Parts: sequence; C-alpha cells; structure tokens
Amino acid sequence: MSEPAVVVDSLVKRFAAKTAVAGLSFSVGTGEIYGLLGPNGAGKTTTLRVLAGILTPTSGRALVAGIDVAERPLDVRRRLGFLTNTTGLYARLTGRELLDYFARLYGLPRADAEVRVEALATALDLRPFLGRRCEALSTGERQRLSIARAMLHDPAVMILDEPTAGLDVLASRFLRAFVRAERDRGKAVVFSTHYLAEAELLCDRVGLLHQGRLLAEGAPAGLRAAAGDAPSLEEAFLRLVAAADGAADRAAEVAE
Amino acid sequence: MTLREVTLVAGKELRETLRDRRTLAVMVLFPLVVYPLVSLVTAQVLAARVARVESHVARVALSGPPALVAELRGRLASPDLALAGAATDADLAASRVDAVAEVKPGKPPTVRLAYDETREESAAARDRVTRLLEAPADAVRCAPPFAVVATGIAPRAQVSGYLLSKVLPLVVVVMVMLGAFHPAIDITAGERERSTLETTLSAPIDRSALMAGKVLAVATLASLTGVLNLASMSLTVLEGTRLVAGSEKLAIPWVRAAAAFAVVPPTAFLFASVMVAIGALARSYKEAQTLLTPVYFLCMAPALTAGLGDFPLTGVTAFVPGVGVTLLARDLILGRASIALTLAVLASTALYGAAALALAARLYDSERLFFTDEAGLGLGAWLKHLVWGRAGAPAAPGPGDEPPTAGQAIALYAVAFVLLVFVFFPLQSWRLGPGLLISEWIGLGGLTWLYARGRDQSVARAIRWRRPAPTATAGAILIGLSAWLVIGLCAEWILPAPKEVVENLRRAIVPPSGDRGLVATLFLMALTPAVCEEALFRGPILRGLRTRFSPAVTAIVTGLLFGIFHLDAWRILPTALLGVTLSGIALASDSIVPAMVAHFVNNASLIVLARMHADDTDALPRHAKLLLGTLGAFVLAVGVYLVRRATERKRGL
Repeated sequence: MSEPAVVVDSLVKRFAAKTAVAGLSFSVGTGEIYGLLGPNGAGKTTTLRVLAGILTPTSGRALVAGIDVAERPLDVRRRLGFLTNTTGLYARLTGRELLDYFARLYGLPRADAEVRVEALATALDLRPFLGRRCEALSTGERQRLSIARAMLHDPAVMILDEPTAGLDVLASRFLRAFVRAERDRGKAVVFSTHYLAEAELLCDRVGLLHQGRLLAEGAPAGLRAAAGDAPSLEEAFLRLVAAADGAADRAAEVAE
Repeated sequence: MTLREVTLVAGKELRETLRDRRTLAVMVLFPLVVYPLVSLVTAQVLAARVARVESHVARVALSGPPALVAELRGRLASPDLALAGAATDADLAASRVDAVAEVKPGKPPTVRLAYDETREESAAARDRVTRLLEAPADAVRCAPPFAVVATGIAPRAQVSGYLLSKVLPLVVVVMVMLGAFHPAIDITAGERERSTLETTLSAPIDRSALMAGKVLAVATLASLTGVLNLASMSLTVLEGTRLVAGSEKLAIPWVRAAAAFAVVPPTAFLFASVMVAIGALARSYKEAQTLLTPVYFLCMAPALTAGLGDFPLTGVTAFVPGVGVTLLARDLILGRASIALTLAVLASTALYGAAALALAARLYDSERLFFTDEAGLGLGAWLKHLVWGRAGAPAAPGPGDEPPTAGQAIALYAVAFVLLVFVFFPLQSWRLGPGLLISEWIGLGGLTWLYARGRDQSVARAIRWRRPAPTATAGAILIGLSAWLVIGLCAEWILPAPKEVVENLRRAIVPPSGDRGLVATLFLMALTPAVCEEALFRGPILRGLRTRFSPAVTAIVTGLLFGIFHLDAWRILPTALLGVTLSGIALASDSIVPAMVAHFVNNASLIVLARMHADDTDALPRHAKLLLGTLGAFVLAVGVYLVRRATERKRGL
C-alpha cells in the first residue's frame, strides 16, 4: 500500500488563549478527495494553512508528500497547490503576468511554463481574459485563474480552501469537474467547505470538524448511516454535533 | 434631507471612528506628543549650535599702516574677537583665521574685510567687525571712522555648493522618505488588505528573499523620487539664486552635486527597510498609515537637525541614522567629505537597513497578522469605572495584580508626556522647586494612583512594591553609586553636551541665587524622582510592555521612553541608559524597591558631587577618566551581579 499523500497527526494550533485546532488527525491517499467540513470557526482554514506551511503547528505534526511542513516548509510548498479562501490575485497584474510570475517562483523553465500555461488555459477556459488585469475579472474568472495559479507546477497535492464560495451554479459545477479530473490523474485533494451538500457530491471521504476536533470521519454515505440513517450529510452533522455537545455538558456536570 | 437624518448618520460615523484606537492615536498623540517632542529636541539642538557659534571667539587678522592698525585694534577691542597680525586670504580659506581686515588710508580709512561666506564662524566674525567699525565714534561725530568693504573670498563654485548644501541634503532625505512611504504601505498592509498575503506566503520562496524583493522595489521607487527631487531642486535653487543675484553668474558645482547622489541608494534602502518593517506590522492600509506617519516625522527630525544645524560629520554623527547621510550629502556638495567617513556613513546606513530588513522578514509572516486583537474594554466603560470605582464596569478581568497591556502602558506614557509638555514644564519654568514637587508627586504620582484605582488594585500591587532581598538592595546601591559615572563617561564620548547645558544643570542643583541646602535638594532632586518616576516607569509602564516584549526589549524600550521623557536632546542618551539599567533592576528583582534605591543613590551622588564642585569630568586628564571609568564599570558589574544573584536565589536556582 502506498504512503498517504497527506498525514495530519495529533495537530494542535493555538493563538494566544484560543485553540483553533485541538488534536486533529487524518490522512489522505493519492487519488482521493478528502473534505474537511464544519461551520465557521471549526478550524478548517487553520488546518489547511498549517498544511500549506503558512502556520506552524503548536504541537503534533503534518506531512505533505512525506515531508514535515514545520521542518521543510519550502519543500512542502513546491509539492502542493494551495487555493486560498479568497481568490488572492494581484489586482494590477494581468492573468498572464500572474501565471508567469508564479511559474518562475516555482522554478519552471520558460518553455515548460509556456506549455503548462497553455494547457491550463485550455482546461480552465482562461484564454478570453488572460490579457486582462485581475481587478477587471468576474468572480468565476478569478477563481479559475486562481486554480491555474495553484496548479502551475502540477503539484501532487491540492489544498482548496472553500473554492466554491461565492461561485454560481455553473462555475461550481465546472470547478467540481476539474477537481474530479485531477483526482483521477492521481492527485490527493484536501477540500474544505461548509456547504455539506457540495461535499457529498464531490468527496470520497469527509472529516467533520467541530471546535477544532474531528467529530467523525468516513465516506458520506457511511457517516449518514452512523448518524442514524440521516437523510443528508447536513442532518448527520447536526446530530453528531448535538451528541458531542451533550457529552461535553455531561462531562462538565460530572466535573462540577 | 432632515436634520435628524444628518445627525443620526453623523452620530453613527463618529461612534465608529472614535472606537478606532488608531484614529484616536493620530488625533491625540500626534499633536500632543510627537510634534512637541520633535520640535523641542530640534530646537534645543539648533539653539546649542547657535550658542556655540556665538560663543566662538572670532580670530581676525589685521594689516595696514601701523597707525591705522593701532586705531583699528582700539575699535575692535572686544571679548568675542581675538586680534592677530597680518594674514592672507589663503589663511582664511584654510580656516586659520575667521576674517582678514586690511585697512587703507583715506577719508574715512577703508577696511577691506575678507571673510569666507561658506563658514558660519567667518560670517559671524564679519558681522561683529562690521558692527564695531560702522558704529559712530562718539556722540558728537556721527560718521563712522572706518568704511568697511566686506569681500567674500570663497570661489563662486564653492558659494553655489554652500547654497546647495543648505537645501539639498534635507530635501533628498525627506523626499526619499516620502518616496518610500506609500509603496511600503502598499506592498505590506496593502497586500494584506487585498487578501493576497496568503497567496504570496504559499509560494515556495524564502521569507527573507520575499522581503528583500519588496524592500528593493520600495528602495528603487524611493531612490527615483530622491534623484528626481535632487535634480529638480538643484536647478530650482540655482535658478532662484541667479534671479536674486541678477546678472552675476554662479558656477554650478555639477560634479559635487552629482556626488551627493551617492547617498540616495543607501538612504533609500534604510528608509525602505524601516518602513517595510513597520508596514509589516500593520493589518490594514489605515493602520500602516497610522504607524508610519509618526515614524516619518521622527525620522525627519535628525535629518532636519543635521541639515539646518551645520554640525560636523564626525566619527559619532556618521553612525547616527538619518544624521550621517544628511551630513555626508552636505560634505559631498561642499567637496570636503573624507573617504573614511563616507565609507562609515554608507556602511552603517546599509547595516541599519539590513537590520530593519531582517526584522521585516521576521514580522511579515507573523501569525498575529492573520487574526485580530481588538477585544478590550471600551473607553467609556473604563472612564466610568475610574470615576465611580467598583460600582462601575470592571476594567480588568478581576481584582489582583494583573499587569496592564502594552497598549495601556503606552497610553499611560502618552498621558504623562502630554502633562509634561503642557503642565509640568511650565510649572517648573515658573519655579523649579514647587514646580518639580507638584509635577512629580501630584502629576506622576497621581497618574500612577489613578491607574491603580482604574484597575481595582492598590498602588503597592500596581507598582510591584515588594520587600527586596538584602543582596538586591546592596546591588542597587552599588549600581546607583557607579551608574552615573559609567553612563556619564559614555555619553560624554558619544554625544558630549554643550558646556552651557551642563552649567544649567549645575545651577538647577546649586542655585546661584541661594542654596536650598543638602537635605532639601536631596528630597527634591533625588528622593522625589526616585519614588514618583520609578512608580510610573518601572511600575505599570514596564509591566505593561513586559506583556508584549522579552525582558531585554522591555528594558530597552522603557529606558528609551524614560530618556525621551526628560525632553532634553543632550540628556536623552544618559537618562535612557539609566532607564535601561533601572528597568533591568526592576525586572531582575521583581520589585520596584531596588530600582527606586538605585535611582535615589544615582541622583544623590550627582547632587553631592555638584555641591562639592567635583562633578566636572571634562577637566580630568584622559588616563584619570579611563581609571575612573574602569573602577565605575567594576562597581557596576558587582552591583548587577548582586541583583541577579538575589533573584536566582529567590527562584531557587
């Protein structure tokens, strides 16, 4: 069995008095889409930022392609494509200038970069607006350009932080199709969202996050079954949260 | 449109704006703290420079027929003129004399007064001689006995250079700073505001390289601004001078003016690094502007002082950020920059820039910047609590000895500073003794008391009044006995105070109008500041800053604030060094008492020596200073050791 592409092991991340991630563990294999689901403040973005080497774990560890993100963040960043929860494009550059800049940051030779930009331009339908400044693009165009920016170096791992937030139905469907295609090419995808219905459509496995902890993990159908044959993933999540909060309250009462 | 709608909107906007601490900081701190600080310190330095020129005894060489020279000598007998025998214009150009007066027979006799218009001392000598010679001989004869023809001997190119040197260096430094200001904000806080920070940080690039690239971009833009302004201002100044001088042509020292461009890149690098480092702390464009505007003014102060003050570029001024580059630009234009000092200025400026760049790289990806720390008690609730005590809303999580936040410590300092400038200074100028007592006991002491009350703490808890270990007290006494000597010698070496300033200080301790006696002086100038200043600075201010910084940085920042609080350009360095020492003592001993003891002993030593007229280290020979300095350093080291030892014992180490 091949080594998982992403391993998160007992990850804790604190900011002063606030604990954003409290002992999180999961792993993602190659050719798998793993969804991190949960409400706002559950710790999804913090976890993804740790995986991208932007934040340092307080304790525990995170590995991407077998590399510890805290020890070798630059090597990790070379192997993953990170899509932030905002499109995060440089407004005053054109699409092509932006892609050229990142291709050079990723160390792609000029000829390879041109081939790669052309391939992504075709796959993501970027050609009509590559010459326009990013500030003049629509939300959907920006998101497609962002994906191209994150995929330029053809990384083994894709980390997508709420990539469909703000997108219309067509753009969301286009993006999901693209992510599935990448999964089929053997990439590991970690995908965060608070749209549970979308996760059900896309993810092979999901992890339900609540207050920085993993409530449950598994295939969407399995989680629904575990929550008493809940009609949807959303309902399953609500039942699991209620059960977890109830258990916590009981533990607090016993402690008092 | 109705008035109700207008007032409703205005009320909401005012509420929102006034809840932004940064807006309040700019609105209040700027006019009340930064402007007085910058203007007072600059004025003090410039006044000292003017006093130095005025106290300079001008050397005037006299030549001509013996009888007329004798008459000239009689007319020029004045304590601020030293008259000498014949000298040439070459002697004048080489600064061996300040003016050359050559008298020729006539009715009245004519004096050709040669001076160097590019030297302030020479211009002062011309003014003095002209004033004395052109005054009527007596009440009966109204006509002056001599006709004076003042002649500048500096070559035209040198005069043009002198004129340029008065304007260009300051313009260059200020314009380079201005050129760095907005780009620095745009690429740091602007990036955060545009939500591209994460994108940037997710790229496989080393943070130092990332920040170096950003600084390079800002420095390039700042350099371009500097160069364009330098070129434009050179032409404008020279054209303006030409218009004023009429048909007289001024030779433009093109090569020297071009040489001044050499200071632009390092200056741009320094300011770009500093501004990018500070911009990296900000979470928004607005916050960056708030942080950088005072820095802009604070950076301008040394350049302004150096540009206007005509100070020499020396081994010390070369290493002062902002001052060194301004003085070097001037000396390059005047054609008198030495290679060693040029290299010293360029290297030190680049070094400071590199240090700021390293700091910027460290700060830029600070995790703090992804989150907000706006939570806190509103101003209104805090004021209610202050006035009504416990009945109001609590200012702190609960009673105890929790320290203030760093922001509260700075706010407390700002209030004290405002009181210092607008209340304490006028009071002390009115009458030193009562003014000092009111400022210290009611002003600073009252502020500390108000702070403690606002936090539901006793004053003793708020200032960390604890019985110290006897060893720590002994160490504090030794530090107090030696710190003044070591610090005084260091300050004398780095930034010697003018004699008038030292003399004023002596007169404050021992007033010539009537001695107030040793005990009263010790109470007024040793015990009072030791208690009141320490209570505030080594109490809430030190404790608040400690919540944000490491012990070393806390001691340095508190010491600097303490130095600035004395609002005297010449005393900032020694008082800041003393402040760092006292802060170190308070931190190490975890009690304010040893710091108070050391402060008292330090001031008491100076008072006793001043009363014995034994405090003038200037008069000592070099080897005696070295010996005293070594002895002082040894005693200081023993004192520091004892304080540290006491702390380690207390912690059971």
